[in-house]
Amino acid sequence: MPADLAVAEAPALALEMTGISKRFPGVVALNDVHLRLEPGKVHALMGENGAGKSTLIKILAGVYEKDSGTIRIGGREIEILHPSDALKRGIKVVFQEIALIAEFTVAENIFLEEYPVGRGGSIRWRTIRKEARALFERIGFDVDTDARTGALPVSQQQMVEIARALAHEARIVVMDEPSSSLTPNEVGLLFKVIRRLTSLGIAVLYVSHKLDEVFEIADTVTVLRDGRHISTRPIAEHTNDTLIQDMIGRRIETLFPRERGPASDRIALSVKNLSTAAKLKDISFEARAGEVVGFFGLMGAGRTELAKAIVGFDPISGGEISIGGKRLHPHDTRTAVSLGIGLLSEDRKGEGLMLELPVVTNLSLAALEEFARLGLIDESRERAAAQSFVDRFRIRTPSLEQPIKNLSGGNQQKVLLARWLMRGLSVIVVDEPTRGIDVGAKSEIFALIDRLASEGHAVVMMTSEMPELLGLSDRILVMAGGRITESFTREQATQEKVLNAAIG
Amino acid sequence: MTRTIAKLLLAGTAFAALTAGALAADTPKRIGYVVNYGTHEWYQNVIKGMKAHAAEIGATVEVKDANLDVAKEVSAAEDFIAQGVDVLIITPVNEEGVVPLLKRAKAANMPVVLEGNPVKGMTTMVAICDYDTGYMAGVEAGKYAKDHLGGVAKVMNVGLPLLSATVLRSNGFMDGIRTIIPDAKLVHDLDGGGNPDRALEVSTAALAQNPDINIIYGINDSSSLGGLQAWKAAGKSQDNLLVVGTGGEGLAFINAMEKEPSYKIEAAMFPEKEGYTTIDAAIALYQKKEVPEHIVSPTAPMMGDDWKKFYDVAGTTRTPKWDAINALTPPAKCMKTAADLKK
Amino acid sequence: MVSEVSHPAGPGNAIGRLANNSQIVLIAVLVILCVGVSLAEPQFYSGANVIAILRQAALVMIVGAGMTMLLITAEVDLSVGASLAFVGVVAMDVINITNSVAIGSLAGIAFGGLVGLVNGFVVTRLKVNSLIATIGTMMILQGSVFLYSREAVQNHHHLAAFVDIGAGYVGPLPIPVIVAALFFAVAYVLLRHTTLGRYLYAIGANQKAARLSGIRAERLKLFAFVVTGLLVGVAGLVLVSLMNAGQPTAGRGFELTVVAAVILGGTSLAGGRGTLLGTLLGVLVLKVIDNAIILLQWNQDLQMIVPGVVLILATYLDLAKRRANAR
Repeated sequence: MPADLAVAEAPALALEMTGISKRFPGVVALNDVHLRLEPGKVHALMGENGAGKSTLIKILAGVYEKDSGTIRIGGREIEILHPSDALKRGIKVVFQEIALIAEFTVAENIFLEEYPVGRGGSIRWRTIRKEARALFERIGFDVDTDARTGALPVSQQQMVEIARALAHEARIVVMDEPSSSLTPNEVGLLFKVIRRLTSLGIAVLYVSHKLDEVFEIADTVTVLRDGRHISTRPIAEHTNDTLIQDMIGRRIETLFPRERGPASDRIALSVKNLSTAAKLKDISFEARAGEVVGFFGLMGAGRTELAKAIVGFDPISGGEISIGGKRLHPHDTRTAVSLGIGLLSEDRKGEGLMLELPVVTNLSLAALEEFARLGLIDESRERAAAQSFVDRFRIRTPSLEQPIKNLSGGNQQKVLLARWLMRGLSVIVVDEPTRGIDVGAKSEIFALIDRLASEGHAVVMMTSEMPELLGLSDRILVMAGGRITESFTREQATQEKVLNAAIG
Repeated sequence: MTRTIAKLLLAGTAFAALTAGALAADTPKRIGYVVNYGTHEWYQNVIKGMKAHAAEIGATVEVKDANLDVAKEVSAAEDFIAQGVDVLIITPVNEEGVVPLLKRAKAANMPVVLEGNPVKGMTTMVAICDYDTGYMAGVEAGKYAKDHLGGVAKVMNVGLPLLSATVLRSNGFMDGIRTIIPDAKLVHDLDGGGNPDRALEVSTAALAQNPDINIIYGINDSSSLGGLQAWKAAGKSQDNLLVVGTGGEGLAFINAMEKEPSYKIEAAMFPEKEGYTTIDAAIALYQKKEVPEHIVSPTAPMMGDDWKKFYDVAGTTRTPKWDAINALTPPAKCMKTAADLKK
Repeated sequence: MVSEVSHPAGPGNAIGRLANNSQIVLIAVLVILCVGVSLAEPQFYSGANVIAILRQAALVMIVGAGMTMLLITAEVDLSVGASLAFVGVVAMDVINITNSVAIGSLAGIAFGGLVGLVNGFVVTRLKVNSLIATIGTMMILQGSVFLYSREAVQNHHHLAAFVDIGAGYVGPLPIPVIVAALFFAVAYVLLRHTTLGRYLYAIGANQKAARLSGIRAERLKLFAFVVTGLLVGVAGLVLVSLMNAGQPTAGRGFELTVVAAVILGGTSLAGGRGTLLGTLLGVLVLKVIDNAIILLQWNQDLQMIVPGVVLILATYLDLAKRRANAR
């Protein structure tokens, strides 16, 4: 047994999974995984996408059958071959996709498989309703038991599921990413209910990738990665960094891959004495092909203004910008794009995404001319190109026609990046490339940026995240008050030096 | 001898001057007119008529335009009162808003003539009779139908139910036509909005639903012309069709009378005469004469070339022939008024 | 977890498919209306009446093609009614002076285009909100048309070609309908299949994003304004021909009809959405209602009330459906 498994003392474990393995064609989903749940405690299960969390849950729920390993409840070994087995054993899994019958009332759903019947086999509805109300009182949450389940908001449907758990006298309740469709208020209410459950002696397994929630509600945390058990610790022993490290498996520094070689000598972008009326004063710098130039600064230093100025989006009052040796003149985005420089804005929603429009349309926006002859768009070529980018960058979307507002932040960012790559640029300017993106997707974006540089692009990156800055940049330029105050090479830069320069 | 003659001459001149002065004092010198909507064709002509008559008696007419704003109207009138004009003429934007103004004018001993619409507390009003206008045109239409349309009258009324004035015209027309042809039928009673493209649109639809009409009546020229255009667009010939317009405000009807074979009758309202009559009323009030509460300004149906009796046209201006127009005798009072509609 | 939205499999622009639902509803409404009215009043489907409806619809549709493009870019032009009247006055006057329908037509269309250019300039250069700017233009035009001609400009020459514009036929079809169909086809291809059309959608969906991608947003908006203006010129010619005079008071309320039809057809005021087919259906529904009220001899006040109610209902239903889809 791994040494860092916390050894729980006292009463029999509510649930003990040992040596669980599961294989699917072509992939090992779980490899010798352990999990121990104590009654009356909240145990968090964390890991990246593909770590094996959902496979483990589904085995518990009786949806999958394990290949090997043992499951013990209250000390006794059991088999779970079927979802009804799980329920009978007192295991209730609340999945993200609510598994209730929308047309039935709440009361009907709670007693779905076990309607109390009276003499003659008729269903005793009054009893059902009474018992349903009693259950909700135990939870401490009020739901209209006669309401049509489908008409309730998701947060209340979750409560119905929990009530169902109680109705079946579950001792183990598993919640799979419960907060994904809840408002912060609703999350607070959910946590109250969870504490109620634990006070009743129920063991709660809370699956989530949200660090702050886990820190708030969990007692213990188990981290899986790539199908393996990595660690199980009391939450008090963890920090953000250690949790992330367990989940991602790399030290923060090696979060930033370094596939590329040194930058070339070819100057892709040259900015001389650039000024704008409002903020920028006499900015000069160069970026070479294959190089990542990182700009750092505090809020108001002028990074975004600089980004928008060098791609022709905002007007300038003085100075010269050249891309590949050609002057940016006239100073507009059309010329800029044709010369090969474009900006991925920090404001995805306001300046990047066409939210209501589909993924394919968002992808092809800057490259449309290539699919058009005499102005008429060849949609099949457009789709083919879009599909190839979706595949290459592993953009997760059900289809190309999906309105882009339905994608996760990380995938949206990938689309916006791909938009430029479809067009083909020599200089790409990114402003806060990983803002609002979860940890796993962040590393994908970093890899993409690295790849861009290795393929010969010059990358100008504005960021306020120190790890990102230090991990990705070949050179670091620090801005304050609209000017460049200092520049460092990768080797010279340290967090303190950079911060000092930013304060100016 | 010469000294006596000189004294006599001097006295005579002085006396003449005094008398002339006295006589001159009998007609107003300055007249103030607050119009409710001066850009409208109708009022442009009313003002023309006013100024023409005022010039005859050596008076000036100053015009302020309320532009359909009651507040503006009241303040314009008060300006006139303050400037001390001899008579005030008002076309009210709406009836209620002007009532307090009339009281103030009375207190300031300022004679006031209302034009077009009555206001409570007024001394006198000059207006045309909408009902009579329609009625007289209807009578002529009936005669025409008897002589040229085989005694059959099936009417499409391109009307405007929104205003009592235009409703009276339409009602008058039908009543008038029925005095000659008792079973005249009102086949279509439409709301043309009083403007040409709307009139065209609704007439087209009505004609498509039932094209069996032979008389088109419009409460103004835009309406009658819209109806006629719809008729033409449906590809029908103008033989056996009579078009009757109302207003005679501009050149449109003259053009139509000349060019369209079916446009035979225009219920002219003589806006210049309206202006003329208003000045008459102003003079009467100034001279403290008794005047009826409603002074009717005459209207008359013009048939075919009749219009030449009343108007001269040169290019894009028309000038009224005052002799002919002034020869028209208006009725003492209208046959029906807006009050009758409410019954 | 990403919510699943099912789409019928098949080719075709995804933008078009997103709009399909509201169009199906409109087609159903149109069919029900036509059938219903025909039962109550058989004259509805008589040749004369159908032609009357189509002609009126053509007038609105010609301008509607341009207005659709404008709304897609999240702009609007409320001066089209006033411009319509002024075009007629100018065209009639020039025809009178030159005795040539061709020259008069050119003058009218050029005038409309000029108004569009001014609107576009005020919106894109002076950065005035298009609602406000075009209301301003509307007021200026409504006032100044009377400076140009106090009265209606009568037709002095009665040229056959002039009458034909509005009242003529090619085979069984009125010329205005053919003209409208032509512009519909061109605008349809433009919006659906060309880069220009796609850019218009992009500008409406997110103008800054479009600009960052190298699209000249202001230039294209100006284009949309000018196109709309030129189309108003064409429509103005049709109207002046139908009225046989240049009427300065014409076109009152026309702009509202056009905008209502476009919105009814599924184009959003917020931009980025909308189809020409939807506009066509919107125009037809509105004009059928208008016509039906007269045919059924209902109170004509309803001609304003019913479209107003329809418009509110349609917009609400569309919003509700989209909110439901987003869940």
